[in-house]
Amino acid sequence: MDWYPLYNSLRIALISSVAVFFSGIFAAYYIAKLHPAVKGVLDVVLTLPLVLPPTVVGYFLLMVLGPRRIFGAWFMEVFQTRLVMTWYSGIFAASVVAFPLMYRTARGAFESFDETLAFSGQTLGLSDTYIFWRIRMPACRQGIMAGGVLSFARALGEYGATSMIAGYTPGRTATISTTVYQLWRTDNDALALKWVLVNVGISAVVLLVVNLLEKREKASKGSRASGGSLG
Amino acid sequence: MKMKKIAWIMVSAMAAALLAGCGSSDKEEAAQTPAPAAQGEETETGAEGEEEAEDEAVTLNVFAAASMTETLEKIQEMYADAAPDVRLVFNFDSSGTLKTQIQEGAECDLFISAAQKQMDQLDIKADPVVNEEGLDYVVEESRVDLLENKVVLAVPDGNPAGIGSFEDLGTDKLKLLALGNEDVPVGQYSTEILTTLDLLEGLEDANKITYGSNVKEVTTQVSEASADAGIIYATDAYSAGLSTVAEADSSLCKRAIYPAAVLNVSEHQEEAQAFLDFLQTDDCMKVFEEVGFIKAQ
Repeated sequence: MDWYPLYNSLRIALISSVAVFFSGIFAAYYIAKLHPAVKGVLDVVLTLPLVLPPTVVGYFLLMVLGPRRIFGAWFMEVFQTRLVMTWYSGIFAASVVAFPLMYRTARGAFESFDETLAFSGQTLGLSDTYIFWRIRMPACRQGIMAGGVLSFARALGEYGATSMIAGYTPGRTATISTTVYQLWRTDNDALALKWVLVNVGISAVVLLVVNLLEKREKASKGSRASGGSLG
Repeated sequence: MKMKKIAWIMVSAMAAALLAGCGSSDKEEAAQTPAPAAQGEETETGAEGEEEAEDEAVTLNVFAAASMTETLEKIQEMYADAAPDVRLVFNFDSSGTLKTQIQEGAECDLFISAAQKQMDQLDIKADPVVNEEGLDYVVEESRVDLLENKVVLAVPDGNPAGIGSFEDLGTDKLKLLALGNEDVPVGQYSTEILTTLDLLEGLEDANKITYGSNVKEVTTQVSEASADAGIIYATDAYSAGLSTVAEADSSLCKRAIYPAAVLNVSEHQEEAQAFLDFLQTDDCMKVFEEVGFIKAQ
């Protein structure tokens, strides 16, 4: 069994979930402070990939990144590199599709943050950066971690946009999901089943981690309410 | 202030992306408009038919190889005049997918495959080596070799990689080659060509092949310059306006024959046979020959 699809899926999922982790937190933090009208529009645009079919996302990505399209053509000319049909094309697809999960969960976590903590920090003369990294982030840690793990799981399972923008090149752009489809199409059920089991295994572990994080969050909230230490 | 600026940059980036998407797809939209319009007419006549005489309107489900999309849509308009009581519904995909769908119980009256193999797999009279599962779907007396197509090597506009022949596929000029899957007829022909030229293993080992799930997907990958070259049918290259640099002759691969047959699961076998006869008239052959099909001998 050639393990390349696993390796490729994992690196695509890892890179895109890291990218989405930071950009999602960034977006959630700053957009919350914007004018309600701007906020409303941005919120819709940034959440859209969550509800759009991945094929629509793939179509948009192709229209921008294809070597005959605006950005893709420019990139091709400057760097002599294609942005589609390569292993890293999968990163674009996975990032766009996973972004809303991170953004939404981070925003939820920030919204439940007790702002008086930030204000008291300000009265003590702490900088906004310090407050963000040392007070806000630790307080929202579990929600944000859960968002990160969910994004990773979503990125790992991306199929529709990936198959459109990265195609299926064995040993190069093949991911677990595109490999399963390919094997099923070509009547190789036995191998397809192996990959299905690998995928189910990974996803189950990821969801288990999310559940554990949520439990810990509840537990720590419970202890806080009962006057326990802030940790 | 800083965040406002950032927000604006993000908004304008999104807007630019959206506009880019719309702008560049104008051409495709224009190319696609005739099809929905034709379908609209179809449904209208269908609806009228139902109002006037409910029993007369018959819906024919035609499963056809993806490479026949443009020609059959044109013929659909002609048939609306010739047989106004019959409504044609097309399902275009790779013949392998269509065969699977028929086998899984999809409603299909007429099947046109891009290779004998997929038709044989549904024909009880065919060699059991091909029809492994012993499937019996074909109405024997209706089966006919309808068309022949040519397998060609197509390149994107301007041929950026400078591919000039099938032999060039073995050189460093080529970075990525688009082929049909092994369940897609054009993929089987491609494999045959590359095996004959002793290039397949080298290309596979260098991970230079990307597999599409039907010939239209391969065609798009070439026209979008996502791949340096692709092996498709002459008719698809013609319809997509792609330039071809080589044509496979009989020394490289089998002739690409398109067999057609009425299926015995159909409730409208008579109407399906009538449409199949219509496809073999000179008027229809003219439509087929316009894009590069040849009448099968």
